[in-house]
Amino acid sequence: MAGIFIFSEDSALARQLMTPALELKKSLAQPITALALKESDAKELAALGADKAVVLESESQWTEGFAETISGLVKEASVVLIGGTLRGKHIASYVAAKLDAGMTTDAKTLKIEGGKLLATRILYAGLAVCEEVVEFPAVATVRARTFLAPAAAATAGTVEKVSATGEARVKVDEVEPIGAAGVDITAANKLVAVGRGFRKKEDLKIADDLSAALKAEIACTRGIAEDEHWLPIERYVGISGQTVKPDLYLATGLSGQVQHMVGCRESKVIVAVNNDERAPIFEAADYGVVGDLYEVLPLLTAALKK
Amino acid sequence: MPKCLVCYKWTLDEQDIKVKPEDLSLDSSRAKGKISDFDRNAIEEATLLVEKNGGAVEALSYGTAAVKQSLKDVLSRGPEKVHWIADASAENADGAVTAKVLAAAIRKLGSYDLILCGEGSSDLFNQQTAPRLAALLGVPCVSFANKVSIEGDAVKVTRKLDDCTETLTVKTPVVISVLGEINKPRIPTMKQVLGAAKKPNQEIKISELGLKPEELQPKATRQSVKGFVMHRKNVIYKESNAAANVAKLAASLATEGLC
Amino acid sequence: MNFELTEEQQLMGQSAREFAKEYLDPIAVELDHTGEFPKAAVKGLAEHDFLGLILDPEVGGAGAGFVSYVEVIEQLSRSSAAVASILNNHTMAAYAIEKWGTAEQKKQYLPELAKGSILGALAIYENGPTPGIGADALVAAKQPGGYVLNGVKAYVRNAGEAGVYVVFATLNAEAGPKALTAFLVKGGTAGLKISEKVETMGLKGCPVAHLTFENVVLPESAVLGAENQGLEIATKVLSVYSVAEAAQTVGIGQAAVVHAAEYAKQRVQFGKPIAVLQAIQTMLAETATDVHLARLGMHFAALRIEEGKPFEVESAMVKSFLVRLGSKMLIDTCQVEGGFGFSEAMPLPKLFRDIAGTNLLDAPADFPEKTIAASIA
Repeated sequence: MAGIFIFSEDSALARQLMTPALELKKSLAQPITALALKESDAKELAALGADKAVVLESESQWTEGFAETISGLVKEASVVLIGGTLRGKHIASYVAAKLDAGMTTDAKTLKIEGGKLLATRILYAGLAVCEEVVEFPAVATVRARTFLAPAAAATAGTVEKVSATGEARVKVDEVEPIGAAGVDITAANKLVAVGRGFRKKEDLKIADDLSAALKAEIACTRGIAEDEHWLPIERYVGISGQTVKPDLYLATGLSGQVQHMVGCRESKVIVAVNNDERAPIFEAADYGVVGDLYEVLPLLTAALKK
Repeated sequence: MPKCLVCYKWTLDEQDIKVKPEDLSLDSSRAKGKISDFDRNAIEEATLLVEKNGGAVEALSYGTAAVKQSLKDVLSRGPEKVHWIADASAENADGAVTAKVLAAAIRKLGSYDLILCGEGSSDLFNQQTAPRLAALLGVPCVSFANKVSIEGDAVKVTRKLDDCTETLTVKTPVVISVLGEINKPRIPTMKQVLGAAKKPNQEIKISELGLKPEELQPKATRQSVKGFVMHRKNVIYKESNAAANVAKLAASLATEGLC
Repeated sequence: MNFELTEEQQLMGQSAREFAKEYLDPIAVELDHTGEFPKAAVKGLAEHDFLGLILDPEVGGAGAGFVSYVEVIEQLSRSSAAVASILNNHTMAAYAIEKWGTAEQKKQYLPELAKGSILGALAIYENGPTPGIGADALVAAKQPGGYVLNGVKAYVRNAGEAGVYVVFATLNAEAGPKALTAFLVKGGTAGLKISEKVETMGLKGCPVAHLTFENVVLPESAVLGAENQGLEIATKVLSVYSVAEAAQTVGIGQAAVVHAAEYAKQRVQFGKPIAVLQAIQTMLAETATDVHLARLGMHFAALRIEEGKPFEVESAMVKSFLVRLGSKMLIDTCQVEGGFGFSEAMPLPKLFRDIAGTNLLDAPADFPEKTIAASIA
């Protein structure tokens, strides 16, 4: 058993997978093979340090259908890293079954210890963390933005093509991209939250501009929704409103009261902008700016657009 | 008239699990059992499909001795019969073992048109069972479904993925994993609860499944389970120059990969 | 001794908790503010078989035991004790009919009560000191073929929404309570009027009103049980009702302590959650203890009711305990939540007012301590 294999149908995530793969290569001294669905991805991955990049070519369009082919290609692997998109998890689980392998889902860290793969991950809906030890061959899924893509390698690897069979029993009728339809702030990756620091409804435009620059959605405190009716109730985050856990929760002009924070404290990164240094929001924030939101937000929007 | 089988897991309610402050270890002594959240959706979906198209729903679960506590609960939610395997191996079973045991049980029970389960269990959320099961049984898997309908001898499934919704048609038999948003599990009425006692349950002994002892050994094992403590960085920029603060914040956001 | 609920009892409680989360939590605070009869919630109760929970399957009930029933009431009360009140009053009226009704009366009313197509209500109290005594005591004068009722029934829960009232009237104003007789009166009977809606302090949403009887004519077949048996029936029903009401109090107390504990864990003052302060711990601990002990006493009495054993003393003990400590549960939890919890947008103010409504000693002449003392000395 030898070889570190990576795969993701998501190009950016595939590049990010190269970082843990390169770390594992240092420990295992085994080559990295990157599987890809597009030649452009394969070339990029080869440039980032994959010893070999293999493009799967097929008539079939259904990504999950390539699980069978992928299983064949990785059957000698020590470790298989697959991008933890939903498609990726489907494929990874299928591959794991074919390899009769253990699989760790949504690994946050990866390393080799005692000839096995050691991962850390989250359990019980975020209540706990644990280490998971997986014997070889080990399959692991890694979610987007867990790692940053590495810098270009000194030498690029080779690129090959291989033909892949699809899943004939599944017929794809329709694929519809998900647009920004409807207000489901729980599905948003980034949120800009507004509170009483905004003096008028019209002033919310400052937050709208910022959220556009961030590609974020707008959320608010209870008062803004229920008392002022400046925003619909679906945008209200709090103890009797929505619970959100986006990658970024940017709290602007809100003090960070318990009843609001309960709805957002599992956010990956919390940022606060408030003109009161003693506001509780700063205790709950990763980053913050003490200042007047009317000044700070437009400056931030401009900085982000650059 | 589809014959449906729903695989469910009897889990500890993660909301009852406490973190001991002195060493961050987990205390589940007060945790009550429950049918894993998304498996409830799977049970409801199967029940809805059978109410609409005729057929039958049975349930299957592999767990420790505690799985016996789930039987009346699951029978009050629609299935007409529940098959269960109670074995100590379930305590540390990983995705590999779980899928093997379930697959062996399904081969023993007969053929089903639809095999459903939740996208992942509410405790560990490995999200592996459905595709693994399909691979072992040699049938297609359609995962992350938020809509299922029967069209003759085929099933039409809509999946909600990260960046799109995808609609597929698959001939049965097929393994389907469902998302929590697919339906709202009905609340069992009082009569349904009391009626559960009259429905049959059948134990399958693990020895009847023809699995070798090494097949019941997990390939992925958990260790050092600890409570998650939130640490916020508390990096606050409070110079008098707003532009300077903003520049620093923008740089921090970039480092975090957020812009 | 087995202190655990059976599987079925647990599952029924679980369904009630889920029902409460879905149907009651979203409306509880608003219901408390408007006091408008919660039609959708009551329809939901019917659809989930709660309205016929303890009634015989032969009449369309679920045939569950009384312990299942109080478990359901507790779980519903954690979200809306007002809706639980509607259910309690309905169930106790149906219970009276099931226990003392003739085959005809049971056939006439129980299937509809079980299905929830009509609600039931008890009309026991009056403005006077005791039913049967006072200027507008409800008097049933005998006449050929039946009776004519005149007078006022006070503080009738489910008034105006009920399809059948179990009404207690005295046949003889001089004998007063000794001549009390129970009658079944259909809602909308000629001469039966809601004379005055009562705006209550708590449990808003459960209608409470005075009912005026103006020459209400009833046939002989309307008598529930026997003539002069009314006091016995009322006493027995109220004794069972005490346990059902105790389940409401326990549910309210449970909701309060859970909410206050959660608050105490998150409210940080001087760098620490207030949950570490001894004063806070004492208030939460005492409340949790009182809820726990009340629940045990309540389950004990409920089990005796279910098993057909004597229960009046145990029922009185639970009532007495909660009259003394029920409101303290809310006083303490409100203290824990301070200014934050004082807001009407928060649940505690409603719970504070609701719990008072479940602790009322409606007939102080028969206060529970009397029953308890009589059993021991």
